[in-house]
Amino acid sequence: MNCMLCSKLFQEYLDNTLSEELIHELNLHMEHCSRCRVFFRTYSLTVTLSRKVEQPCCPSEETMERLTALLCDKLCSLHGKRP
Amino acid sequence: MSKENKDLSDEILVGRIKKGDRDALEEIVKRYSQKIYNLALHVTRDAAAAEEIMQEVFLTILSKIHALTHDAYFSTWLYRVAMNAAYGYLRKERKYTEQTVSEDLENETAAEYDWSSLSDDILVSEESKDILRTSIDSLPDTMRMVVILKDVEGFKNEEISQALDLSVPAVKSRLHRGRLILRRALGDYFRRYSYSGAEE
Ligand SMILES: [Zn+2]
Repeated sequence: MNCMLCSKLFQEYLDNTLSEELIHELNLHMEHCSRCRVFFRTYSLTVTLSRKVEQPCCPSEETMERLTALLCDKLCSLHGKRP
Repeated sequence: MSKENKDLSDEILVGRIKKGDRDALEEIVKRYSQKIYNLALHVTRDAAAAEEIMQEVFLTILSKIHALTHDAYFSTWLYRVAMNAAYGYLRKERKYTEQTVSEDLENETAAEYDWSSLSDDILVSEESKDILRTSIDSLPDTMRMVVILKDVEGFKNEEISQALDLSVPAVKSRLHRGRLILRRALGDYFRRYSYSGAEE
C-alpha cells in the first residue's frame, strides 16, 4: 500500500465497502505514515462537519396550510369529488 | 387528523391516497414536507425557491402516484423527485456551472496540519460552520449538489446517481473532489485560527 492508493480508499472506507483485507492494509499503512493518518482524520472530520451544517428552517405554517389545501383540491379533482 | 394515520406505514398511506383518501395525503405531507423543504433550501439557499420546489414536488407526486407500482418504495421515489426538482431549479435559475476544478488536491506534499485534534467547540463553532457553508456554496453545481445530498442530507451514492442521472463512479469522484476542497478550506481556516492565537 502506498500513500496514493491509501488516500483513494478513504471514501470506500467511510462508505463501509472495503474488504476486511484492505481495511487491514489501510490501517497498517496509516500506523506508519503520519501524513496519511492526518489526511484520513481530517478527511473524515470534514464529512462529519458537513453533516452539522444544516440550518434552522421551516416552511411557514401559512405555506403548509396552502400546500395542504392545494393538494387536497387536486386529490379531489383527480377522484372527481368536490373539495 | 386521527392518531391512527400517524402510526401507519407509507405503503398503507399511499394505497389510501390512490383511493382518494384526504387524511392519508395530509399525513404524508406532514411526514415529508420538512425534509423536502430542507433539502431544497440546502441546494437553493433561498426560502421562496425551497417552498416553490416543495410544492412542485408534492404536486408531481400526487399526479403520478397511481403509476407507483411498489408503494413501499414511496420515500425513495419522493426523494428522487425532490433531488431532481432541486437540481432542475439550479440548472434553470442559476448560471449553471460545471467547471472543472483543476487543482492538485491529492498531491499535497507539504506537511499536513492536523486540525482534527482541535477541541469540539472550535471544530463546530458558528464560524467554522460558516466557512464550511460558504465553501460548499462555492463548489461547482453538480459537485455541490452531490456533497449536499451525500454528506449533509445522508443519501446513498446509488440514490444520488439515479436522481441526478450520473453514474455511481461519477457521483463518487465528484464527492471525493468536493470533500478535498472542503477539507482544504477547513484546514486553512483552522490553521489561521490556531496561529492567530485564541485570545484575539
Ligand atoms: Zn501514506
